[in-house]
Amino acid sequence: MKELKNIPKQNPFKVPENYFEEVNRKILSSTAGMDSGGIKKGIVRQLRLYLAVAASIAVLVVLSFTAIHFFTSGKNTSALPGITLNEFTDNYLTDIDILTLEENASTYGLSGGVTGYNDNDIIDYLVFENIDIYDIYEQL
Amino acid sequence: MDSKNPDIDIIDLLKKDINKGFRLVVKRYSSKLYWHIRRIVIIHEDADDALQNTFINAWRNISNFRSESSVYTWLYAIATNEALALIKKRTKNAALSLNDLGSYFTNSNEGNSWFDGDEAQIKLQNAILQLPEKQRIVFNLKYFDEMSYEEMSRVLNTSAGALKASYHYAVKKIESFIRNG
Repeated sequence: MKELKNIPKQNPFKVPENYFEEVNRKILSSTAGMDSGGIKKGIVRQLRLYLAVAASIAVLVVLSFTAIHFFTSGKNTSALPGITLNEFTDNYLTDIDILTLEENASTYGLSGGVTGYNDNDIIDYLVFENIDIYDIYEQL
Repeated sequence: MDSKNPDIDIIDLLKKDINKGFRLVVKRYSSKLYWHIRRIVIIHEDADDALQNTFINAWRNISNFRSESSVYTWLYAIATNEALALIKKRTKNAALSLNDLGSYFTNSNEGNSWFDGDEAQIKLQNAILQLPEKQRIVFNLKYFDEMSYEEMSRVLNTSAGALKASYHYAVKKIESFIRNG
């Protein structure tokens, strides 16, 4: 690299005065009105959909178990044998269309009679408190 | 996340406040990217266009950026593609040929305004221009930006071994041109 070593490694090109301040300003004003998609927003949006479905399933499970418990307490339960939560989710929920569950959950309302909270509040709570369906079952 | 990632502060800020994070990206990289583009396209106005397009593309695709890679190599990849696209567009206009930079910089007012090098620098820039496009980019990234082959491999999506070989031959061609030209 003899010949190359003899030439100083310098930048021979010039730019107009204050070019970089100006171009930075132009770039930021061009992008100001544009939708970026965003890193965090995308993930939260995706999560919301799955959480809405998970919350709907959780509410239906709770309602189903409550109804079964209420209507069968003290009666002959031979027609309705006791089942565990695992058996319920494995055998019954697999045949249920998730979109139908979501529609049914919205008619009941996720707030379940508690005033002052909307669906988004409940989804946010489930996300940030990391609530699992089994935690809800434990409370029954 | 890789603790050695030099852009960890940018990545964290992009997640917390995307606008502030992007402002930091522009502030930190606009100059580096400009000179990378300028060495490819030579003409200031073209470099200016390509630089702005680079950041607009980066903003639009920021959701595709994976935080385990570096902002630096991601931006360089976008900038390289913008510069190459501009050259392709330019070669369709046969009126401007940059095979002889010496002529361009010394005989035209425009060239004279934007070049501040001596005869040796003109010779070197002319030699670099003789290289095929991709090899020219490899040479510029290694020689002027002192980029590692690993980083270059992420920018150009080529193996580090191929890049080492390309740079080795680029240097030989440039020295031969300087010696004989």
